[in-house]
Amino acid sequence: MKLKIVFILIASILTSAIYATKINVVTTTADLKSITEFIGKEKVDVSSIATGYQNPHFVDPKPSYIIKLSKADMFVTVGLDLETGWSPQLLSSSRNPNIQKGSNGYVDASVGVGLLQVPSSINRGEGDIHIFGNPHYWLDPVNGKQIAKNICDGLEKISPENKTFFEENLKAFDTKIDLKLKEWTMKMAPYKGVKIIAYHNEWCYFEQRFGLVIVDFMEPKPGIPPTPSQLVKIISEVKSNTIKVIISSPYFTTSSSDVVSKQTGAKTIVLGTSVGAFDNIKDYFDLFDYNIDKLIQGFN
Amino acid sequence: MHYFTRTAIIILFCTSLSANLFSQADSIVKPDSVLLKQIEQQLKSSGQTSTPVQARTAPSTLPDISVVGDFQASYKNNVKRNFDAGINEAELSLQSVVDPYARADFFITVGRDPVTGKFSTDLEEGYLTTLSLPAHLQLKVGKFKSAMGRINPVHSHALPFISLPDAYQNYFGEGINDEGMSLSWLVPNPVFYQELLVQVTDGPIDNPSFSRSVGNTYFELAHLKNFFDLSANATLELGFSGMTGENSFNLRTNIAAMDLTYKWKPVQYNTYRSFTWQSETYFSNANISKDKAMNTFGMYSFINFQFSKRLFFTGMYSYSNKPYSASTVENSYSATIGWYATEFQKLEIEGKTTSSNMEKEQNQILLRWIFVIGTHGAHQY
Repeated sequence: MKLKIVFILIASILTSAIYATKINVVTTTADLKSITEFIGKEKVDVSSIATGYQNPHFVDPKPSYIIKLSKADMFVTVGLDLETGWSPQLLSSSRNPNIQKGSNGYVDASVGVGLLQVPSSINRGEGDIHIFGNPHYWLDPVNGKQIAKNICDGLEKISPENKTFFEENLKAFDTKIDLKLKEWTMKMAPYKGVKIIAYHNEWCYFEQRFGLVIVDFMEPKPGIPPTPSQLVKIISEVKSNTIKVIISSPYFTTSSSDVVSKQTGAKTIVLGTSVGAFDNIKDYFDLFDYNIDKLIQGFN
Repeated sequence: MHYFTRTAIIILFCTSLSANLFSQADSIVKPDSVLLKQIEQQLKSSGQTSTPVQARTAPSTLPDISVVGDFQASYKNNVKRNFDAGINEAELSLQSVVDPYARADFFITVGRDPVTGKFSTDLEEGYLTTLSLPAHLQLKVGKFKSAMGRINPVHSHALPFISLPDAYQNYFGEGINDEGMSLSWLVPNPVFYQELLVQVTDGPIDNPSFSRSVGNTYFELAHLKNFFDLSANATLELGFSGMTGENSFNLRTNIAAMDLTYKWKPVQYNTYRSFTWQSETYFSNANISKDKAMNTFGMYSFINFQFSKRLFFTGMYSYSNKPYSASTVENSYSATIGWYATEFQKLEIEGKTTSSNMEKEQNQILLRWIFVIGTHGAHQY
């Protein structure tokens, strides 16, 4: 009996010691969580604030997130003002100096990413325009490599003794991206130049990578719900361009695209914008597998 | 022999058929080798390079600057001037991180006096907040809205109704924002979020319950916030506040308050649907002479329901005594419809009726148009 107790005590001490040595990472989105897990593997304990089926622009800054952030060693953000409505408030309430902007534990995943739709002038009359450029850059798998590099750099700053481990994982991640990219590009090759309609302006990186052509958006301007006049315009564009597919995201209602579908026969396909958007999107690679398969089904 | 020949023919036929079928299937699923080579070449020549990295928008040390405009129109019965319209308030905010150790937030308001119509400027809030104190502590110094309940810390333009609850107005007027210091501690509770705030300030000016002391009596406040995630979509907040300070009789008033907020917001469709039920109660103990204290009570409760991305409804009930009159009983009901054009602009219309056993019934219709230009920080959840 005594031996049993001693054994349990030693086991619990060891378990807590192992847990304590893990780097505690909080990411704003589930994609960043997935990539961090690829790079940090068993040396990180990662949690994401936003879920994969949630609009990352509009996350409610619940106080319970402050608890997570107060204990974090590293904070990874998409940046480019994507989370401007909620993450700065959470960060300053976290009372954690290690993850504030400028600290070693603050990782902006967008650093070094080539951005699209960088506005030359800012005017809110154009809708929800992002001053630094379109922030949905993780939807190009090649940008995933840059995100992974930024996360790797961040982890190395916090745990320099594991530099080689993280860099090996980064290499493996990049290799897998290269391999999968070939597969995805091959699958999408027959559909290069295919015209589609999107609900919100969040697919430009995916569009560019896989050669799709987004003709128009259901939203007349980013963030503005579809209006009757916009729907009329879309219906005419769908008809004149023989568009077969309208893509949307899990957090938008499909009521307006259903109207267009009824009038034109075009299919509305809800794609995953993030890991966890649907049950079978478990990691960053699944995200592209799912979206590409769904699109091909839609085109056929 | 004949049997073996027939079997061999059948096997051969099946094999060729299946091979043919599989090759067809392959041709559907996999592109041919020429295409594969083309793609590989394309990937190689492009080197998978994404868009070239551009220089980001020029960094600036300027703080986030915004102006919130609050235009209002109202009709009230049983008053001398029934109809009123104009700019109720313009709020200029300047917010920025100072250095790695602190951030600063300033809110300057230009408000219109409803009686004289004249505009005057006031520092609504101006405070410094630490970012790096140990033991999960955070210190706020300057002029700020007191952490009393749920309504007081929120700027009026962010509330889902136009007229403040009568119970709140009877005890705190337009609100308590006061100069001093506030220390908050994130309680290391592993089960739910708990925050304890202690504030010591000079004492509110022009407040129905409290009065700034000329002596060494300060306004002291403590607030315990308990926040529970009931599910991914629902949360509950339970807060307890206690405050004490000098009143207009140069004696002490103590108020205990409790707030309860239930929020439902489906994570997936949080921009389309939401429901909030929020209530606060106030128990006041005001010493009006050395041997006489007045115990009074006030409460309000409202529901806020979001029907669609842009349409909100708020219904409120308030019951209240007055700080120095337990015999005064006020009941009020209000209904507000809000249309939120974007997160930067909203229009609200409200009907409110207030009955009192001391005054004539008052009915009012209010219209509010709120907009923001510039970068305005997020409000508390």
